[in-house]
Amino acid sequence: MRLYITFLILLCLSCQAQLSDFEGTLKEAIGKHQAGDIDGAIVLYRRYLTSRPGSFLVLSNLGAAYARVGRFEDAIAQYRIALKLTPANPSIELNLALAYYKTGQTERAAAGLLKLHVAKPDELQPTLLLADCWLAMGRNKEVASLLRPWSSKEPVDLAISYMLGTALVRDNRVAEGQLWVDRILRNGDSAEARLLLGTAKLSAQEYPAALVDLTKAVELNPTLPDAQTYLGQALLGTGDSENAAIAFRKAIASNPNDFSANVQLAMLAKQDDNFELAQTHLQKALLVRPGDLGARYVAATVDLQQGDRLPAKVDAARIALESIVRQAPSFTEAHVTLATVYYRLQRKLDGDRERAIAQRLTAAAQQKQQQGLNVK
Amino acid sequence: MNLTRRHLLALGLGAAAPPSSPVFEQIPPSASGIVWTHDNALSDQRYLPEALGPGCAFLDYDNDGWMDIYLVNSGPCDFFKPAKPLRNALYKNNRDGTFTDVTEKAGVSGGNFGLGVAVGDYDNDGWPDIFLTGYGKCILYKNNRDGTFSDVTRKAGLETLGFTTSAVWFDYDNDGKLDLFVCSFVDYGPTAHRSCGDNSLGKHYYCIPRFFKPTASFLYRNNGDGTFTPVQAGTAIGQSLGKGLGVVATDIDNDGRMDLFVANDTVQNFLFVNRGLNPRTGKWNFDEIALPAEVGFSAGGQPRSGMGVDSADVFGSGFQDLFVANVDQEMFSLYRNMKNGSFRDVAHLNGLTQSTRLLSGWGLKFFDYDNDGSLDLVLANGHPDDMIESYSPAVKYREPLLLFHQDAGKLRNVSADAGPAFQAAHSARGLAVGDFNNDGRLDLLVGVNGGAPLFLKNNSAAANNWLGLKLEGVKCNRDAIGARIRWSAGGVVRSRLKTGGGSYLSSHDPREILGIGAVPAIDWVEIVWPKPGAGTQRLNRPPLNRYLSVKEAVKEA
Repeated sequence: MRLYITFLILLCLSCQAQLSDFEGTLKEAIGKHQAGDIDGAIVLYRRYLTSRPGSFLVLSNLGAAYARVGRFEDAIAQYRIALKLTPANPSIELNLALAYYKTGQTERAAAGLLKLHVAKPDELQPTLLLADCWLAMGRNKEVASLLRPWSSKEPVDLAISYMLGTALVRDNRVAEGQLWVDRILRNGDSAEARLLLGTAKLSAQEYPAALVDLTKAVELNPTLPDAQTYLGQALLGTGDSENAAIAFRKAIASNPNDFSANVQLAMLAKQDDNFELAQTHLQKALLVRPGDLGARYVAATVDLQQGDRLPAKVDAARIALESIVRQAPSFTEAHVTLATVYYRLQRKLDGDRERAIAQRLTAAAQQKQQQGLNVK
Repeated sequence: MNLTRRHLLALGLGAAAPPSSPVFEQIPPSASGIVWTHDNALSDQRYLPEALGPGCAFLDYDNDGWMDIYLVNSGPCDFFKPAKPLRNALYKNNRDGTFTDVTEKAGVSGGNFGLGVAVGDYDNDGWPDIFLTGYGKCILYKNNRDGTFSDVTRKAGLETLGFTTSAVWFDYDNDGKLDLFVCSFVDYGPTAHRSCGDNSLGKHYYCIPRFFKPTASFLYRNNGDGTFTPVQAGTAIGQSLGKGLGVVATDIDNDGRMDLFVANDTVQNFLFVNRGLNPRTGKWNFDEIALPAEVGFSAGGQPRSGMGVDSADVFGSGFQDLFVANVDQEMFSLYRNMKNGSFRDVAHLNGLTQSTRLLSGWGLKFFDYDNDGSLDLVLANGHPDDMIESYSPAVKYREPLLLFHQDAGKLRNVSADAGPAFQAAHSARGLAVGDFNNDGRLDLLVGVNGGAPLFLKNNSAAANNWLGLKLEGVKCNRDAIGARIRWSAGGVVRSRLKTGGGSYLSSHDPREILGIGAVPAIDWVEIVWPKPGAGTQRLNRPPLNRYLSVKEAVKEA
């Protein structure tokens, strides 16, 4: 009996010690998170969750830590587990949507943000993010409808004006859109207005004109999100790849997870036969958008380009390209490159098959393009 | 600052010194007598053929040993009725730096909507004949050996209706007679003239060729009796639908059979490798291998707008490399032959992508402009769309020529030092290389869309030694297309394949100039005549700094 009691006492003491250990671990994890030691925080959050897997707050914290270091897919996984435990938690839903947004999973992000917007239409942040997603998806009319109610509130948020103006311009309501640009400009020359003008010109391939606005945008606000990336694209369009690289590097300095800047720098490095640097940038880009076909395709071409020096890279390219064409069977360029890879690997039959697919896709695309023109 | 007497003297001497001549000096029409200009038939509708010409050629039509000049013009067709008669031009070389227009007398004024010119001695009579491509039909002018030509197109069976661009004479079946490959561009027949509507300026613009259907090019076998038979059907050439703009006949695998590299616009390029006679089908066998050879697409797997082409053993590997010029933003490609049937693009390593990113390239040629023994490169550029600057201001309609010099195995852009013509902008198209004044330095002739041709005299490196060879085949084709020349000078052995065609819509001086720099002598020259030629012929210690005619030595039976 004495032994039993002693055992119980020991057990309770052990429980208490464990409890305080867990609390200590969590406290330490949060401390590290707040101090910016994200990797340290991740280790401790995960340790905590091995024993307390049902703590949705810790799951959410771990997700936030992952997002902070650009591991968005891991963040998404944590947020999704957390949401199963506490469905419709708005802050976790917002974080999940943000992670989707950052990884270019725009449709998923928009779905989550729409839910949040419907639940709380007066919340500005999800509304703005939703508008941005819809802009990326080309749903310009819906962006205009979404933002109209906000545009009558004074003072009008610059971002609202910017996105509303963009949507209207892209919807070919240029004069109406211009009013919003003017509205931004009324407040003085602003980086947002310049960015709007610059990106509109960029999409019309008016590179020198875009360059003027985007240069001004980064002068006015060097940390304006995406401005350096767009500036880099305009510089590339004018043939100034050297300064484009500088702009992309600046974009990455302020946001290491800038997907486009990383891909562009990878392509520039590839052009210079700097394959190692190209792969470094592509790895960063793929950390942000792990499934991105474009980035994976560029990575495969980088591997192929190294194939003469490092034959194993040709096979690496093959594996990547086979996966890409499985996922995107109408990706013509990937079929062309996969055919090239097969030929290099002396797999003529496979090469011929891929070549035939590429030819078929090209012919179909050309037929589409040949339709709908006036015949004189 | 006090100027001493010596300073003043030096300044005075400096002022008195004649300005040094540019590497390439533009000879104005007033000096050359070449006053002809190209009419591009520019219309409000912007019909595509308007943007493509003209081609030009160096040829010695009267066999006097001096290069004459041929220039191609547009002309009447279903969408263009010229207000005044238009004609091509043949300029006879007066051997004093001037030229005389002999077009009417020679009877070579054209009459089609002309685009390209390919010169070759198809009947092996020792006199160059002229084949003209264009929109509508082609023309074959047979040289009558008396300063005149006859239009024998119909009799020869070479009318070739459609929209044809570059053409090349070459002996694909090694029977000693020149055959003919003709690039077909797009399906642009009378019912398919397309307008791409209004651009942002509210004007019609030239449709991107992507909007037109591709077509098969033509291969004509020379029957040896003044007639030709189309033989592309059932071969890879007939099966490959493209939008051909440039073609060069070369031998990528050193098997003695001439292959064809074809630049296509908005579809993949073609590399037709000549496999010889297929005994099973009785047809000549070509394999189209551009994709496996890695010359069909960009490094990103995309087809580009291929226009001008050339082929040469650029870096002395013993194998033929390839070059293709594209439209702006697509970059040009220099393909190094890997000696295994595949190529790698080394344009970037040679500074070519950086220099050509915003340019659209047409005529081009590897040539040793300073006779130092290494091949250099000239590129003629200009955007096809005359309104491009209105909606893409970074790209210019008129663009500069580019000159690359080869230093230590790499090409280097030396355009800035090449002369004023390389600083000015032109809507250049065809380009031909030839030595019009027989000084051993290759000059340039550039066809300009809607303008006067550029005629550029080469003033470079007069001290460098050279030997010019005029090859004359006897058993092999008379022009010796496909001959391989090897020469040794100063302990260095070099080689060159006499290719056919290349550039864009144009024809070069048929002679080969072997530059040897400051080396005082050539030890030997070997000529391997193409089949069915008599093998190898050797010249020991040939004379320098002059042209030499070399006739294929055939043993008496």
